[in-house]
Amino acid sequence: MARKMIFVDTSKCTGCKACTVACKEWNDLPAEKTHLIESYQTMRDFTPKTWTYVTFIEQYHNKTMDFFMRKAQCFHCGDPACLKACTSNAISKSADGLVVINPDKCIGCGYCAENCPFGVPKVDVVRKKAYKCTGCVDRVENGLTPACVQTCQPGALQYGERETLMAKAKERLNEVRKRYPGAQLYGEHEMGGTTYVYLLLDAPEVYHLPQHPSVPVSLTLWKDVIRPVGSVAVGGAAAAVVVGVLGNWFRGGYRREGGPPDGGEHHSPAGKAGKGGKE
Amino acid sequence: MSPSFGRGAMTNSWSDLQNAQVFLIAGSNCAENHPIAMRWINRAKAKGAKMIVVDPRFTRTASEADIFAQIRPGTDIAYLGAIINYIIANKLYDEAYVLNYTNALLKVNQGYKFDEGLFSGFDAKTRKYGVDSWGYQLGPDQKPLAAAALDDPDSVFSQLKAHYSRYSLETAEKITGIPAKTIEMIAETFAKNKPGTILYALGMTQHTTAVQGIRAYAIIQLLLGNIGRAGGGVNALRGEPNVQGSTDMANLFNNLPGYVPAPISTDKNLQDYAARNGSIQVKPLVSLLKAWYGENATKADDYAFDYLPKINPSVNATMVKMFEMMEKGQFKLLFNMGSNSLVSIANRQLVRSALTKLDMMVVSDLFEVETAQFWREPGVNPAEIKTEVIMFPAAFVYEKAGSLTNSSRWIQWKEAAIKPLGEAKPDLDLLDALFKRIRRLYATSTEAKDTPILKARWDYGEEPSALKVLQELSGYDETTGKLLSTLADYLKAPVGDVSTGCWIYAGVTGNGNLAARRNNADPSHLGLFNNWSFAWPANIRILYNRASCDLDGQPVDPERKLVWWDGTKSLWVGNDGPDVVDKTKGPKTPEGKQSFRMNPEGLGRLFAAKYTSGLPVVPPAQGQPVIGIRPAGLCVDGPLPEFYEPTESPTENLLHPQVSASPTALVPSAFPEIQKMGKAEDFPYVLTTYGVVEQFCAGGVTRNIPWLNELMPEPFAEMSKNLAGKIGVHEGDKVEVSSARGKVTVRCLVTDRLQTYAVNGRKTETIGMPWSWGFASLSPGPSTNELTIASLDPGAGTPETKVCLVNVRRA
Repeated sequence: MARKMIFVDTSKCTGCKACTVACKEWNDLPAEKTHLIESYQTMRDFTPKTWTYVTFIEQYHNKTMDFFMRKAQCFHCGDPACLKACTSNAISKSADGLVVINPDKCIGCGYCAENCPFGVPKVDVVRKKAYKCTGCVDRVENGLTPACVQTCQPGALQYGERETLMAKAKERLNEVRKRYPGAQLYGEHEMGGTTYVYLLLDAPEVYHLPQHPSVPVSLTLWKDVIRPVGSVAVGGAAAAVVVGVLGNWFRGGYRREGGPPDGGEHHSPAGKAGKGGKE
Repeated sequence: MSPSFGRGAMTNSWSDLQNAQVFLIAGSNCAENHPIAMRWINRAKAKGAKMIVVDPRFTRTASEADIFAQIRPGTDIAYLGAIINYIIANKLYDEAYVLNYTNALLKVNQGYKFDEGLFSGFDAKTRKYGVDSWGYQLGPDQKPLAAAALDDPDSVFSQLKAHYSRYSLETAEKITGIPAKTIEMIAETFAKNKPGTILYALGMTQHTTAVQGIRAYAIIQLLLGNIGRAGGGVNALRGEPNVQGSTDMANLFNNLPGYVPAPISTDKNLQDYAARNGSIQVKPLVSLLKAWYGENATKADDYAFDYLPKINPSVNATMVKMFEMMEKGQFKLLFNMGSNSLVSIANRQLVRSALTKLDMMVVSDLFEVETAQFWREPGVNPAEIKTEVIMFPAAFVYEKAGSLTNSSRWIQWKEAAIKPLGEAKPDLDLLDALFKRIRRLYATSTEAKDTPILKARWDYGEEPSALKVLQELSGYDETTGKLLSTLADYLKAPVGDVSTGCWIYAGVTGNGNLAARRNNADPSHLGLFNNWSFAWPANIRILYNRASCDLDGQPVDPERKLVWWDGTKSLWVGNDGPDVVDKTKGPKTPEGKQSFRMNPEGLGRLFAAKYTSGLPVVPPAQGQPVIGIRPAGLCVDGPLPEFYEPTESPTENLLHPQVSASPTALVPSAFPEIQKMGKAEDFPYVLTTYGVVEQFCAGGVTRNIPWLNELMPEPFAEMSKNLAGKIGVHEGDKVEVSSARGKVTVRCLVTDRLQTYAVNGRKTETIGMPWSWGFASLSPGPSTNELTIASLDPGAGTPETKVCLVNVRRA
């Protein structure tokens, strides 16, 4: 199957948040208690119950107002760090590009959450499972578009063949650049090319996205260099120790101690990439 | 719109928005409140269309705009007047269109004057206008005299030019706070890109100058030749899925279904009625009476005209006024279906008090909305309230069959998808059961007042069928009992031979249920979708489309051909249904030239003149009433839009300080304890109110849906960084917003999307607050209408919910 793509044209997003509701409805995710954080944003981060939300960025320069809205969800990377980090083979990538966590295999170790450059997967500490956007793989495999795409009224979300849609995205970028010279595509090459590809109206940093997202070096070493050797020579358990040590060495502490006090949800350490709202 | 074009409906359609080259979106936040609009706007933008947004704050709609202008709430007519002036001064108008399809050339009565803020005919005592001087100069044939050229000093065009010559760009800047060069850019952009469309919603209508604001839109569009054309129009975006349908069914107190004027207490018979409303209204009224009373409506008894209730013309029974009457104790019972007035009415304290004056209130709704439990509001003592409240659980939209008429005038049929929950009932079932029971109670009555109940034709079946209701609206040939096939069948039948429950719906079920059609083919690629549902009237998708042709009946815009005269067939044909008097009358005939056939002049009305067509040349014999054919729609507050300050304003009217606010606005004063007025010294900031995309209207449904509550959990007050700095608050702090009428405490949202602006040289601030919250539901919150003022537009009776004065401090 040819690789698919979801084109997120933020120039057409009106921040109506219908994608969030459609996602929750299809995936049977309950509402959470929220409050206004900044602008019209009420969700700050992914949780086991919130797999997509809209971020609102306000900028006022030279008497010109920019009001940027961006739907955040798993990017479904071509080279997913979470998949590489997963210790239990719970994460797989489908031929059309969707990265999916199998809860039956997931042991809740949180390596996926730690290694995702966008801070997407979250571990529900009660259920001890990692959660994130599935790309509505259960819809897509049955010939439907993802729930968020299906519901988007202004046409900010489009689903289709990657090659065709990427060409359209570039065409659209040329058009949008007349108004927003800093506009760019995000996800064409990043992380091996992501399935959700964005047309951003400004630099990724403006949206609190990492400029150069990457798979942690330790993970690459582990997955592509050490493990192939290690699994033959010393076995998986010993290798896991090696990656843990290397992880600490490269990143200086690889995960926060303990879970959050408010129960049920694991929040990534503050300041990590992938947050929409400012604190 | 009705006094301008002849029909009070959005001229074009949602799907037609894709044909526009330029949008002026002012008084609408459609990206949030009509999300579907953006789908079609984006298609137009992809073809290069420009989007202009004028709003008191930078909204989610504004984020998509090419030009944005922040306006002081309630000052629209000032910049629109400047645009009219700019169009005329720079000769940007469509001369052929103006000459042929508008009343520009007609000569205005020489008694007409406008001076120091007042039109001629003002009675200072009643604060009302006598409208006699707002007419035309008539010839001996009782028809208006036409000038030879636009510059004739008596012409409508000259009056228009003179009236708006006072509206310079600089004056408009001082009033509105929009920089003059931005207004100029808006005028240039809108006038030079054709076709252009104007989108508005409650942002334009909730003002004391609401009707005149829309009139200003109509004038701009008539000058530019944008009415009757694909991609043009004045488009009133309806806020609820069936608002158009409910207005079609006489939502307004002085209407009967199909915009037929309601009879008044002095109409003793059909002849009196015709004398007041023109002979054109007799057939729709008789057809309505036939629908309601069937064989009991006969010519011999004046078609049961006596059975109709007659309204007192001196009583304004619009929403706020109704609650004033309730407060005075006029009503014993309120039947409240799908309305949450305790949240939605400006100066809601009146509603809270008035509901206690009832003996009984019946509420039919999905949830126990605030209105249904007004006695539970914090601070209210239930022991002191005698009103008995009965709650009917209503079925939701997907649980009932029927039709919804959208903004595009598409009557769209739907079946029930699921059965209602528990004891909930569709509205029709509830009303049907109620009527049948009431009729049984009156069965033995011989009193004349009860006759209409006993004689009514009420035949929707044992289990009431919504299709039968729609068929009644569509109409029957009463001589055969067969359904009317088309509107034409209705039009050509003799009076009394046909029935229609709503004459503009004639034909909707004539050849099968056309409202149920779901063919989305669009062969013209103009978004007409002719075989998708049914648009009133006669499946015409774009009203006044005759105006899209030149005098020879050929389309002016070759890329957007709607209708044309086919000389070989001697017939008006086209991609759309031709909106013409008679399809067989050629473009050069008097009938075939008419682009606005619902106006007595057959023309678009730049000047809303008093005029009735078909008045007899020879006066009728003594004692006989004078009966014309069609009277024009009038605006009670003037034939041309004039800028007036809102009732509560931070400044005085720069154009005429002596007449600062609208002289005819209905300023509430019946209950001084409740209906208080504030002054700028005490309440220096301007408040504007609005909906947000996450919560719908008064929130009766959406605030009970957890998934929506997490998207917008609470009301807020938006303000500029300057104002926040001045009162020492940061984003997320609580602030107390107060007006002369009340105060609320909400979260503060500090934003660059609101900027400090200058009015008459003085720095001014606008505070924005959504209004969708109340004390009940899963997401309770303070109601913004605790603050707002219930000053009314004199014509429409709409409260000025969009502007009042407030103060704000850290809570």
